[in-house]
Amino acid sequence: MRRILIFAAGLTVLTLSVSAEAAVVRYMSQHPLPRKMGGGFCYIDVPHVHDFGPSDPRMYRQVDGEYYFVGDPSPFNYEGPRHAFYGPHPIVEANVQFGHPEYCYLQGPHYHWYEPPAQASFELRGGAYWFTGTYDPGYYQERPRYMVVNDAYAPIVYERPVVDVRVAPPGFHGEIVAAGPGWRGRAVVGGPPPPLVQVGVGINVGGPPGPVFVEHDNGRHRGWERHERHEDWERHERGGWRGGPPPPAHGGGWRGGGAPGGGGGWRANPAPQQGAWRGNPAPQQGGGWRAGGGKSGHGNAWKR
Amino acid sequence: MRRFRAYLVLVAASALAQGACGKSKAPGGGPAAPAHVEGTPHTDAVLDAWKSAGLKPESFAPVVPPPYVAGYCERGAVAGVDATVCEYADDGALDRGQKQVKDEWARTGVHTGVVVRTKRTLLSAVDREARDPNGKTINQLIQAFRKL
Repeated sequence: MRRILIFAAGLTVLTLSVSAEAAVVRYMSQHPLPRKMGGGFCYIDVPHVHDFGPSDPRMYRQVDGEYYFVGDPSPFNYEGPRHAFYGPHPIVEANVQFGHPEYCYLQGPHYHWYEPPAQASFELRGGAYWFTGTYDPGYYQERPRYMVVNDAYAPIVYERPVVDVRVAPPGFHGEIVAAGPGWRGRAVVGGPPPPLVQVGVGINVGGPPGPVFVEHDNGRHRGWERHERHEDWERHERGGWRGGPPPPAHGGGWRGGGAPGGGGGWRANPAPQQGAWRGNPAPQQGGGWRAGGGKSGHGNAWKR
Repeated sequence: MRRFRAYLVLVAASALAQGACGKSKAPGGGPAAPAHVEGTPHTDAVLDAWKSAGLKPESFAPVVPPPYVAGYCERGAVAGVDATVCEYADDGALDRGQKQVKDEWARTGVHTGVVVRTKRTLLSAVDREARDPNGKTINQLIQAFRKL
């Protein structure tokens, strides 16, 4: 009897100590709802609290204890306004202030609910906003940490915006990729040269594989490479992206999936020269970027 | 007759005075009910804004005494979301009130909670039972409130 009483008392103390501070999770703006909460989207666009945490922290930035959703809302039954962006860019939501620049590290075409203010360094071309300003050092420092947002989107099947990368502004300093984890650009080839590339409608399942274009010269339309899909990769594609962990923090740009052997895989050199970041030249061993376990050097690529 | 007339005038004047001060006296001669705070949107204006936005505020009534160090507060519900609108005389009191609201949530927990201000009027909206799972009602409340 005494043991039971001691156990009951202990349980009461434990319960009281747990309930003394309820779980309050702070969010800065709109965000997806976790599946356990029924999924969908929370449309409250001012700071607010919930009694549940984010479903995937890789899609969030935590600033002063508040979660800010940095991803593309499209896959979460989002029904509000959407604006297309291409590549990494500063987060420019009007009513959200971080106190310092924060960046979206999503590769390729994607949506946000905000559009850049007129004074921001963005150009609207080919159906998307491109950041044409200069990334500050924080962008490069945090990139290895935050590129994982692309991994978070990798297994999600949804439609990306259609962006014509042929008209990429020269001031765009990011990578131009025609496919990424979780999405694949449908490249419409008008016969080489010149290739006509329409990137978008990224769906990573079904349908015959199309060629993938990777531009290595930031919109100047030289050095297009066509990478025929390897059978191994095709199987990966059908099953969704099987990307490995994000790259180590030694300055490498993002590569989907396992790194091709022998130094393949185009990397963006983070060291800005003359104030502007440029992608490295094409890899020496014919690697090129692969979206998920691609293999390099199979001789199927063509260059202009 | 003259006395009777004087009595009538006295009674009428008394009735008028009571009517004019009716808002500041609780029924039964209890403590004075709080009055609206000037210089900031009143609760009535907030409710009207919500109605104009197609929302249906229900059972709003003054809270006596006003919580959260406010000068005047009303509490009610909109589509299952509990809403408290408070008016403040100064920014310092509003800041303290806002902190009290957040501290209360940290103690008791809420499924969803928002506290926003317009001028010196504070709106606290709480969804305790997930009646507004995607926050659309709360967002409508906020949008209309912020236009005041």
